[in-house]
Amino acid sequence: MKKYMLSSLSALALTAVAAHAETVNILMEAVPDTTYIQELLPEFEEATGIDVNLEVVNYAEMHTKLVPQLVSNSGSYSAIVVDFYWVGEFFKAGWMQPLDDRIAADGFDTSVYVPAMMDLVGQVEGTTYMLPFYNYAMGLLYRTDLLEDEANKTAYMDAFGTELKKPETWDEYLQQVRFFTKDGSYGVVNQGLRPDPIAMEWSNYLFAKGGEFIDDGWHATFNSPEGVAALEDYITNLNDYGPVGAASFSFDEAFNVFSQGQAYSYITYNFFRAAVDDASGSAIVGKGEIMGVPGQTPEEGGSLNGAWGWAIPKSSPNPDAAWEFLKWVESPEIAKKRALLGGSATRLDVFDDAEVIAKYPQTTALKELLLGSHNFPTFTYTPQFVEVLGRELSLAVSGEKSAQEALDAAAAEFDELAIKDGRQE
Amino acid sequence: MAHVTTMERENRRFGWLLTAPGLVLLAAVVLFPIVWAGITSFFNYSLIFPGYDDFAGLGNYAKAADDGEFLHSAWITLLFVVAVVGIQFVAGFVVALMLNDARRGKTVYYLILLCPLLINPVVVGLMWRMILHPTLGIVNWLLGSVGIEPVNWLGAPDMAFWTVVLVDIWHQVSFMVVLLLAGLSALPAEPYEAARVDGATPFQRFWHITLPMMKPVIVVTLLIRMIFAIKTYDIIYIMTRGGPGVATDLISYFIYRRAFVSLDLGEACAMAAMLLIVIAGLTAVLWRSMRQVQD
Repeated sequence: MKKYMLSSLSALALTAVAAHAETVNILMEAVPDTTYIQELLPEFEEATGIDVNLEVVNYAEMHTKLVPQLVSNSGSYSAIVVDFYWVGEFFKAGWMQPLDDRIAADGFDTSVYVPAMMDLVGQVEGTTYMLPFYNYAMGLLYRTDLLEDEANKTAYMDAFGTELKKPETWDEYLQQVRFFTKDGSYGVVNQGLRPDPIAMEWSNYLFAKGGEFIDDGWHATFNSPEGVAALEDYITNLNDYGPVGAASFSFDEAFNVFSQGQAYSYITYNFFRAAVDDASGSAIVGKGEIMGVPGQTPEEGGSLNGAWGWAIPKSSPNPDAAWEFLKWVESPEIAKKRALLGGSATRLDVFDDAEVIAKYPQTTALKELLLGSHNFPTFTYTPQFVEVLGRELSLAVSGEKSAQEALDAAAAEFDELAIKDGRQE
Repeated sequence: MAHVTTMERENRRFGWLLTAPGLVLLAAVVLFPIVWAGITSFFNYSLIFPGYDDFAGLGNYAKAADDGEFLHSAWITLLFVVAVVGIQFVAGFVVALMLNDARRGKTVYYLILLCPLLINPVVVGLMWRMILHPTLGIVNWLLGSVGIEPVNWLGAPDMAFWTVVLVDIWHQVSFMVVLLLAGLSALPAEPYEAARVDGATPFQRFWHITLPMMKPVIVVTLLIRMIFAIKTYDIIYIMTRGGPGVATDLISYFIYRRAFVSLDLGEACAMAAMLLIVIAGLTAVLWRSMRQVQD
């Protein structure tokens, strides 16, 4: 009887301990890098005894799920991941905890991050609120086998009098898009769905054409002649050199067209590079490569930068445990392990790691892509601006507005938002 | 004045006691959010700076009424509702009439027809996006095999609108069938027998007997379906995000974005209140016609 009582008591005690074991809850997007984190989690749980619960949802649901938790005094997320274009909004609303004291206390080294990453998803106005998680700077996916094909080389030389090779400038790329649109294949596939797929993709066209979103005084400049020409290039590519229906494609549908071997090129997020070689969903294994979006000259790049950062919300129920997790997940060892699984890096030491480069030779190209990429304007109303830009670009693509009209309308709304945010005089 | 006995009073009190938990629950989850949203609509309330310091009066309503995008969404929604409800009604009525006459296998037909209605709208949207993928989808592949050029289902403004209408019809038409069939099977047989004796043609029987007798059921069915159609959101969210351009930007999706992308709750609540007034008006009509059916 005594024995029985003792064992029930110890069982009770165990339950109590289990109930007290801390859990870190994080809302994350269903992307490859989240899967890699999931694979590595047991190491953290073993080392610290802290459980990690990842709630994985689609991108479109994230903002909607996060905001109510961030507004409340005590939310359910211990840590969060922040897309670069929410940073201004989250900062303005005061939803993130400053991390500088924790960084200093634990001697965490943030100098290893690519500076552009710290600007985008690290610091805001001199205070560190986030640790850069992964970058999704956009690049140009292209088909190496088509470039190396002898018949293509000859035909290209006959048509243009130049050699067929990896494009060095935007104009050379456009020429290749025209050239490869033949025999039922397309030169390019676009992601024309509003709001973010089209807005993000077109940004590369803008930078490649030599345009910029804003000037130093936060006035919209993307309706400049370069911007209009960029939108005209976009419309031509989508309507004349891409598959029917690309105006409604999200990135997964566009990637499917590319990975089924139906298009020569696709400007998209760099994490799709790994998917090109995934035989379970790709018909072009070993035949695709990524590069920075070419610019006006071989020295200039046109890629759009993008990244996610780890943050601890003000409403976090257990910020200390959340910091333990952040420190672990962004440690050199784990960052490298994630890269070795195929993850997208933000730290220079990972980009330069011999083992990572040996496993993924494209790492060097990805680093160059990132270093040459341009930032999207981030301020309090970035999500709203993406909405407006997506709508106007989509109107231009569907022929309901001219390129100039659409960009003028988007620029006017941008200026209103910038004034509302106190960015403009 | 009617005399209220002690027993009646006790009965009444007991009645209130029994309904109280339900009423409290309803007040908490239905009445409170509506009242709260109504109050919020008079303030400049943003989720970035939550607070009721900035009273806007009717400002949010005026802004909404002056917002071209919002009015466009209202217009598109009206077109959508007319198209969806109109086509669903005609198709649903034809099917209901056929099923009403079917002698065998009624349950099987019924079951097959009900299948789409049982599928979650999000799944419907995703499924159709795959089926209608212009280059990798099965529909264009089938069309291609008989020499028809690929159709740009969701990438061209007019086509996208009609694609969304068709998907909604596919999904919801059985709702019409079920309701109309219930009405048809409840009709008395005598008028039909009399008409047959008098030598009326099937069309005459339909026009002079079925249609007039079905009128109350038809009104109710149309109204319920209209209210649901005005609220359509899931299919748009999954299939088009309101695009291409603004071709499928229905009002519910518009208001959702104002609230959860722009975080401008004040204006979103004002827009929602305007929508609520329209739906409440329709509900009043619905309630009145339902009473007519009862009478």
